[in-house]
Amino acid sequence: MEKSSSKYGIKDLGKRLLLSEYFVLYLTVIYILILTPFIPRIFHPWNLKNLMSNTWPLLAVALGQTFVLIIAGIDLSQTSVMALSSVVGAMIMTSGVDAVLFEKSPMWGIMLSENGGLLAGSPLAVPVAIIAMLAVGLLIGLWNGISVAHFRMPPFIVTLVSMMLFSAVAIFLPKSENIRNLPDSYIGISKTTFGFFSVSMVISLGLAVTAHILLSRTLYGRRLYATGVNMKASRISGVPTKRVIITAYMISSVCAVVAAILYSSRLEMGRPTLGSTLLLDIVGANIIGGISLAGGKGKISWTFFGVFFFIILANTLNLLNLSFYLIDIVKGLVIMVAALLDVTRNRIQRTQL
Amino acid sequence: MKRVLVLIALAALLLPTVLVAGGQKDSDQITIAFCFQDLETEFWVAGHKAITETLRAKGIKVIEKNANEDANRQLEQVKDALTQGVDGVIIIPQDGESAVTIAKACNEAGVPIGVFNRPPSDRSAKNIVVVANNEVIAEAAVEHMAQEAMKLGRKVTPAIMVGDLGDPNAVGRRQGFFNVIAKYPELWASAPVEIPTKWDANVALANLQSAMQANPDIDFLFTSSDFLFPVIKSVLAPLGKWQKVGHPNHVILGGLDGDKTACSLLKDGYLDATGVQNLFAEAEMMLDAMLSAIERGDKMPNQWLDDPGFALTQANLAKREMEMWGCKLLANE
Repeated sequence: MEKSSSKYGIKDLGKRLLLSEYFVLYLTVIYILILTPFIPRIFHPWNLKNLMSNTWPLLAVALGQTFVLIIAGIDLSQTSVMALSSVVGAMIMTSGVDAVLFEKSPMWGIMLSENGGLLAGSPLAVPVAIIAMLAVGLLIGLWNGISVAHFRMPPFIVTLVSMMLFSAVAIFLPKSENIRNLPDSYIGISKTTFGFFSVSMVISLGLAVTAHILLSRTLYGRRLYATGVNMKASRISGVPTKRVIITAYMISSVCAVVAAILYSSRLEMGRPTLGSTLLLDIVGANIIGGISLAGGKGKISWTFFGVFFFIILANTLNLLNLSFYLIDIVKGLVIMVAALLDVTRNRIQRTQL
Repeated sequence: MKRVLVLIALAALLLPTVLVAGGQKDSDQITIAFCFQDLETEFWVAGHKAITETLRAKGIKVIEKNANEDANRQLEQVKDALTQGVDGVIIIPQDGESAVTIAKACNEAGVPIGVFNRPPSDRSAKNIVVVANNEVIAEAAVEHMAQEAMKLGRKVTPAIMVGDLGDPNAVGRRQGFFNVIAKYPELWASAPVEIPTKWDANVALANLQSAMQANPDIDFLFTSSDFLFPVIKSVLAPLGKWQKVGHPNHVILGGLDGDKTACSLLKDGYLDATGVQNLFAEAEMMLDAMLSAIERGDKMPNQWLDDPGFALTQANLAKREMEMWGCKLLANE
């Protein structure tokens, strides 16, 4: 009798853990504790600094993806937004480029010259470049949103096409060259720290708090979830679903731009291929966090936990010095397990209703 | 009691961390992180093998990281390696620009860094750079091709398959080609056709096909890397232009790297010349410079080591074949 009650106790605990919104956080803590004896340097100050600096840009871009996943969409174009906005921003603020490399760029003589970008050396260069980057993001988000909401095109196809199209534009503009010599004040965005705190941390956490308030405390947030759960019912109930969808894609793109700012200032250059390999990390972090691909479910805290777990996973796989052949296999398997857990959680929740 | 046990277990788990965070090094063995951008071509595979095997043979622990052509990932990998207290870092960077950013991170951490075969785009960071003199090597190979063209007694239509110009190696190779073009202005029927490849076989294939359609007279072709020869063959063969030296439809062909494919093509008579990077010597130069910096405690060594290279041609093939790394690998198969 006692044995069976303890069995049920463990089962209940397992269920409660699985359904808890802190499930991924618990998992991360357990994972760290298990690995700590094998990776003693995990809490080394340098490593903590690395973990933080790797977390903030990925968090920024993953937050945007969360909005789109909640409405049962997906945004594959975020990486192209990152690439294109980083190139456009760099073309405005760079203080000098090599003519041999750039003279074939269609922007040569218009935005670029041997003396640098459009506003090279001007105190307005950085703010104008950032505004231009945000404008690029908003326009691509608008394009995606209108295609999905008004033309009823599948989000997967729309954003896949956007990814191809805008990645190609990002490569075409500088003829695939990286644009260096960015102003110190721009590079400082990812390099300035105040002890444990950094500017990128403030930016990403600020974005996360804003997103959290938007999702949990506003009418727009409620409409977003409603659209994700059942678009038809929402529309009949008076939710302006088209506007909600368009805004979600625009937010997604703006978040990608914020990530582009953090990544490009960290790499000290505008890169036409910036973020091209990040898609797995962005979507993977959201899925691991518990954001449902079916839509209607997700919280900013989950995205944060997912991103943090993903970063810890990548970091520990590096520190374990696993063969490079194995690292992506492990990452892929972890995302697979996370998706499986998501299905299990949904099933348990349905049976409890 | 339970809480005490949990606390003891946690303390035991965290003990190694506390020791390391307190500054203790994991072991006295020299550890070098070797971070490469990818292993797409024969050249990089052979370079990777040469470096890792030589290091391990010297009793050095090697931590390997593959960035899969992502500069940001490579930066993160290098930073992760630095936290492990490595004694040195050797990178094959994605491009010259990211090499600078990564080298600066190593300079900041006080760990010597070596940049192998793909030089930084500027000299603002301190690093050991081992690089082939691409301009000189390319010029030597194209010079031989030009001499062959002169024997035809007519003008030829030149073309170059250009690498990713964000890579200083590609810039040097292009410059070497154009030095020869400028040297013999009477030899060319038209200005050279530039075919972008971005160091990508698919891009190269599409652009070479288009170039051959637009300029069917191309009969003098230099590829900035030997790994593109299979692509060239697949485009020229259907046009009847994949012919041996001496055939009326032979396209005078040159490359650069010195890989196994180039060696086979030279021996079979399809290739006129290839510029050779002395890969094994480059690996040796890098390791010697890195180990010497570690030994003398130099945390920011700043050396630029040139591999002069040479051109292996139909004329000197018999004599210098075994100086080319691709031929050595071929002979060992």
